[in-house]
Amino acid sequence: MMKHCRRKSAKAKILSTVFFTSVIPVVICFFFYIGIGFAQSDVAPDEENCLFCHRYPQMGRYDETGKKRVFYINEKMFANSVHGKLRCKGCHVGLDTIPHTNIEKVDCSTKCHIEEPSTNKEFSHINMIEKYEASVHGNTINGKIKAYPEDLPTCKYCHTNRMYNPFMSIWGKSDALSNETLARCVGCHTEEQWTKRFYAHFTHRMRRRRSQAEIIALCTSCHENREKMARHGLETIETYKDTFHFTQVKYGVENAPDCIDCHVPINYSTHYIRPKTDPTSPVYITNRITTCSNQGGLKICHPGAHAEFARGRVHAYGLKAKIAAHNDKLKLPGQTKDLMAERAQAEIENKEVFHYNVLKIIRLFYQILIAVVIGSMVIHQMLDYIRTKRKNKKHH
Amino acid sequence: MGNEPETNEKITAVKTSGSSFRNELDGEKLYFIRLNLSERVQHLIFVICFIILVITGFMTKIPKNMVNWFGEAGNIVFYYRSMLHRTAGVIMILTSAYHIYYLLFKPAGRRLLFDMLPKVKDITDMISNIRYYLGLEDSPPEFDRFCYKHKLEYGALFAGTTLMSVTGVFMWTEQNWSKFLIDISTLIHGMEAILACLAIMVWHLYEVHLRPHKFPIDHMWLTGVIDEEEMKEEYPFHYKKIMNDPRLKKIYIRS
Repeated sequence: MMKHCRRKSAKAKILSTVFFTSVIPVVICFFFYIGIGFAQSDVAPDEENCLFCHRYPQMGRYDETGKKRVFYINEKMFANSVHGKLRCKGCHVGLDTIPHTNIEKVDCSTKCHIEEPSTNKEFSHINMIEKYEASVHGNTINGKIKAYPEDLPTCKYCHTNRMYNPFMSIWGKSDALSNETLARCVGCHTEEQWTKRFYAHFTHRMRRRRSQAEIIALCTSCHENREKMARHGLETIETYKDTFHFTQVKYGVENAPDCIDCHVPINYSTHYIRPKTDPTSPVYITNRITTCSNQGGLKICHPGAHAEFARGRVHAYGLKAKIAAHNDKLKLPGQTKDLMAERAQAEIENKEVFHYNVLKIIRLFYQILIAVVIGSMVIHQMLDYIRTKRKNKKHH
Repeated sequence: MGNEPETNEKITAVKTSGSSFRNELDGEKLYFIRLNLSERVQHLIFVICFIILVITGFMTKIPKNMVNWFGEAGNIVFYYRSMLHRTAGVIMILTSAYHIYYLLFKPAGRRLLFDMLPKVKDITDMISNIRYYLGLEDSPPEFDRFCYKHKLEYGALFAGTTLMSVTGVFMWTEQNWSKFLIDISTLIHGMEAILACLAIMVWHLYEVHLRPHKFPIDHMWLTGVIDEEEMKEEYPFHYKKIMNDPRLKKIYIRS
């Protein structure tokens, strides 16, 4: 009996070992898995109770300028966006009366109550803003506010927050791809909201967010505005659109250079764009070989660029060259006239005026040649046709 | 010129080559050789290269909304565009180089070169031909083997190909030259392309496709020969020259 019992207990021991080593972990894993499935909550705790009103999709109005303003917040989308962990009032300072009368514009340099993980200090975009302020697009120069500061792009002008867009455009082009990648993250990082946010932030920073065509669309949204550019003594961007660089962009060539490729130094962020007269600018005359050959960059441009090649003009000759060549101010309005003429004089060298004139003469020569040659050919052939037809009629 | 065995060879080549077209030809009639086999092959290669070059070249000039029509296909074609354009360009340059060799060192080529040289007769022919068009003269002038139209076109082709080749090679090796030279090359390459295309369309395609008795196509570019009637009508001066010279008869009449 004892023996039997002992034998039985041995059997039970084996069974229990099997049970504890394999069945329980499997069951635990199963519940854990299910648990993940159920535990996901995409909704941020709305401590300030803003969503009490702002969760209604119809919420919005037309402002004084006739612009449609949407005040609806999609909880789920917001929670998964890069700012998902922030409180509303972290950025929207004030707003403590209803209706909101004390509205201040969102300032991205505000310190939000989030810890920046590398320094454990309060997070703020101030570092980027300082860099940006020193760039050509910053609205101060030598401590003074520039003329027409309202023309200059603010943070939000380029950083159009995409949290209201479908997820696909946040994660990347393929929904399936990002889901698969995300599934790998979620294995360890079980807090799904955090994971999605982190994934969005990380993948967002891993690549350029905009394609070349989108970059150009963004830059040209200001740089194609003749009036706005003229106020600052600048030409519009058509001169770029005449180049082969843009032709490649038109066809969506991945290697095609957009504005950023030449105007932002390699290994710097876009906030660093400087005027071409600044020695740190990649289009500054002595930096051109590096820029054209794209040394250290991701694209294959002109690897063996010769100094003479790199020193040349990239954008086609435009208005400024025209002004310099004619040595006049053209028919431009008041202040613009002086600014443009001033810049034309400073930026277009005599050599360039000569080049501009030579190209102009060649173009004119060809235009006349084509008109005369093709015109006389058409007349000749028409005469031939009429005469031959008439002769055939006579014969018949 | 006096290289008769070779000329005979050429004639046999003509006979054996376009056999499918030869069936259409009437055995009773006299046929005159306008282009020999080598010239026809040169022409064919040139035509193919020209078409490829025009398409792949003007692809870079079309506006953005037209590019959008192609969608994904435009993207793929553009990927091969530069390679195709350069390949066709190189083949064209090689064909042109061979053509110069042909002009200088082959008897048929030397004849072509000699007949192609401009003469005073061309100017008088042109004036009287235009007078004929306008109804001021009753009959057109008597043209030789190549009339002023052919000579102008040939000259334009020669100059155009040279310009396109030189500027094309500059653009191909752009990083070695000053940007100003590249700008000039780009401009000339583009403008010359427009000129060449329009000239081909107006001058050449009319001549071989649209002229009332040639429509829809003049088969001479494949057969290389024209019949006696057409020869008398189009190139009477050359016809008389051939008929009065047994040596020329051997060269130009398809046996």
